Amino acid sequence: MKSVVTTVVTAADAAGRFPSQNDLEAVQGNIQRATARLEAAEKLAVGMDKVVREAGDACFKKYPYLKQQGEAASNQIKVDKCYRDLGHYMRLINYCLVVGGTGPLDEWGIAGAREVYRTLNLPTGAYVEALTYTRDRACSPRDMSPQALNELKSYIDYAINSLS
Amino acid sequence: MLDAFSRAVLSADSKNAAIGSGELAGLRAYVAAGNKRLDAVNAISSNASCIVSDAVTGMICENTGLIQAGGNCYPNRRMAACLRDGEIVLRYISYALLAGDSSVLDDRCLNGLKETYIALGVPLQSAARAVGIMKAASTAHINETNTSGTNPDETRFRKMETTQGDCSALVAEAASYFDRVASALA
Repeated sequence: MKSVVTTVVTAADAAGRFPSQNDLEAVQGNIQRATARLEAAEKLAVGMDKVVREAGDACFKKYPYLKQQGEAASNQIKVDKCYRDLGHYMRLINYCLVVGGTGPLDEWGIAGAREVYRTLNLPTGAYVEALTYTRDRACSPRDMSPQALNELKSYIDYAINSLS
Repeated sequence: MLDAFSRAVLSADSKNAAIGSGELAGLRAYVAAGNKRLDAVNAISSNASCIVSDAVTGMICENTGLIQAGGNCYPNRRMAACLRDGEIVLRYISYALLAGDSSVLDDRCLNGLKETYIALGVPLQSAARAVGIMKAASTAHINETNTSGTNPDETRFRKMETTQGDCSALVAEAASYFDRVASALA
């Protein structure tokens, strides 16, 4: 799992040396930002169900045709799966905030997603709409501190960019 | 390879749950003690050659047969291999301490180490003893409880000049990594 610490350790190990001052500085920079990241992760975890529901509702509001016969969300089972997928994205964003890197999203969310969506004939635009709604809906200081919000939005943007 | 943060992610993922306040408390402790941890890693890596050579010297002092003809630290070639292995073990322990997780030590150092030593005829007891001395020296360096010993003119003796504080949790964590090596060799 890629994070600042594992990247530093992998590089040091490849060179066969003990962690150098540079390595320790890099880890310290990561630790200094960690407080904001962990705050964002905690707030996202607390509001997870509500965030997912609102994101899905926004998506179906913008693309009501998705619920028509023959479309991606034509029955309740498929609609539920849409909300479940959004839950997965939010959970992976929560993980990214914890490790301080895009490793979880890369490994579990993005790798192969394009192929899966094409095979199942799912519209990525709908996911983009849901994630965009979440990004724009979050505000500071109502939801979290400005720095935490910044961290959260950067990972949501990362997920959006991977889908668009 | 994992660190304290990705370990939490893996365990949460297996439960299909987001990481909430409960798990975050442990990670906040890692963040709060971050500078202590970096000082501890620095204490080990800055004194590495001293820690390793002292440990190997101590191991040989207790069992001088090692450097007599037929011993496992004779001739110089095998002595050098012994010092090198001590440094490798200490290096992986420093990585584990930096990451706050033992996976790098387990995967890259301890996996198959015992089998290799048995195949090469390295005495496991002696190796474990050297690790034990490294543990004592490293924890003393982290805690700054190291002393110049019986020789008052010892010029190599040094203390890390860091802020004094309670490092008991970190010392216990570092000691657990050394114990992990010892039990892997047992």
